[in-house]
Amino acid sequence: MFSGQEGVTIKTIFVQGPVPGFRLLFVLVLSLVLIVADARFDRLEEVRSRISTFLAPVFWLGNAPDRLGDWFAGLVTPREDLVSENEALKARLMILERRALKYAAVAAENNRLRELMNASGTLDDRVVVAEVVGVSPDPYSHEVIINKGSRDGVSAGQAILDANGLMGQVLYTSAFTSRVLLISDSSHAVPVEVLRNGLRAILLGNGDIGQLELVHVPDTGDIREGDVLVSSGLGGRFPKGYPVAEVSSITKDPGAPFITIHAEPMASLSRSKLVLVVFQEAGAAGAGELYDQQDDGEGGSAGDAEPGEAR
Amino acid sequence: MLSVISYPVMLLSIVVSLVLSISLFPHGWFEFRPEWVGLMVFYWTFRAPAQFGILSAWVLGLLLDVIEATPLGVNALGMAVIAFLVLTVHQRLRMFPMVQQCLIVFLLLGINQMLVHFIKQLLGAESAGFDYLWPAATSAVLWVIVCPLLDRLNLKLG
Repeated sequence: MFSGQEGVTIKTIFVQGPVPGFRLLFVLVLSLVLIVADARFDRLEEVRSRISTFLAPVFWLGNAPDRLGDWFAGLVTPREDLVSENEALKARLMILERRALKYAAVAAENNRLRELMNASGTLDDRVVVAEVVGVSPDPYSHEVIINKGSRDGVSAGQAILDANGLMGQVLYTSAFTSRVLLISDSSHAVPVEVLRNGLRAILLGNGDIGQLELVHVPDTGDIREGDVLVSSGLGGRFPKGYPVAEVSSITKDPGAPFITIHAEPMASLSRSKLVLVVFQEAGAAGAGELYDQQDDGEGGSAGDAEPGEAR
Repeated sequence: MLSVISYPVMLLSIVVSLVLSISLFPHGWFEFRPEWVGLMVFYWTFRAPAQFGILSAWVLGLLLDVIEATPLGVNALGMAVIAFLVLTVHQRLRMFPMVQQCLIVFLLLGINQMLVHFIKQLLGAESAGFDYLWPAATSAVLWVIVCPLLDRLNLKLG
């Protein structure tokens, strides 16, 4: 901008070129346009996915210290420990295989009975093992990043499990990683039913990683402490029948129309390292048909929930 | 303004700040995780106002938006505001003793956090009280270490 002899002295004053205020204004307007386009109209998924793929090395590096620790632990573990662990795992495998044998027979019988009732048979879901490679830097959103992305066939909306129960759902995918919204996030909801009697309700996250909230259960609802809540498959997003949470406390207020119910998530949301991505084969059509036959009155209540898409 | 700026150091520090803001952090301490990217924007606008300005800060904020999965533009806006405020005060800032510089870091990163949380609340997040100011405080404390460290790296490698 400034040339000649006085350039040296003047440049130190106007370091940033003409007017930084103008740039700020430009950037402010651009940001506002982006925010509205992204938050209100969901127009920027493609851009986000591109940038996310570009940032893959950052995600990889973010997980590097942890992997280094694992690798080091692998180096220094004595052989006896590995042998004993191996034996323990083999024993566990035997027990689980026995249970699986029994389960296969029961599942086959169940499908035959369903055929007799003219309902569609249930298919077993296909799963892929993924690893948690990062957590969201924002302490108020419960999100983790897993190391499987659109290259592995993962797409937004798929359910994520750990060994004990439902963990959450895929929010965005990039080529190599995906972002998972946990069920404890305050914008997340899961349609569930009580395993004991099939009572349906919606399980909301409330931003507390160890506690969920079961809402809109009427005062007369049959629910007790210790009841297991499983995903009901209504809403078509989560597969049916996976354990989600266990009821931990029930508070009845005579003046309120609904009971206040708190539940503890089954999955260890903040500790699980390995997770399963569920690929649903037949989708929710089968589940919907099944419910139509049982009762028509209540079908809409839980189906209205748009799990996790309220952001 | 430093007499020499090392571009590799700039690039490396920015990548490290992005990595640090995503790497695993002790559970239960999430609230105190320093705003690494904000700190880097502060440092580089302060030390190299001719090379690193509002636009670079905005792009960096956009990357942070993708990492945090906030709506695109929220952190970008906050970072651009930090860069702008640093540009307006950086000449005085150089004269300040360390303690006063830390205070300014807290102030500016606090403004950034406040803006980001204000926009998030407009978009429907729940209010978190004043807890969101913790990252600004931890970043201000870290300034004592980060600023001399990067200065030394710049002088050595630039």
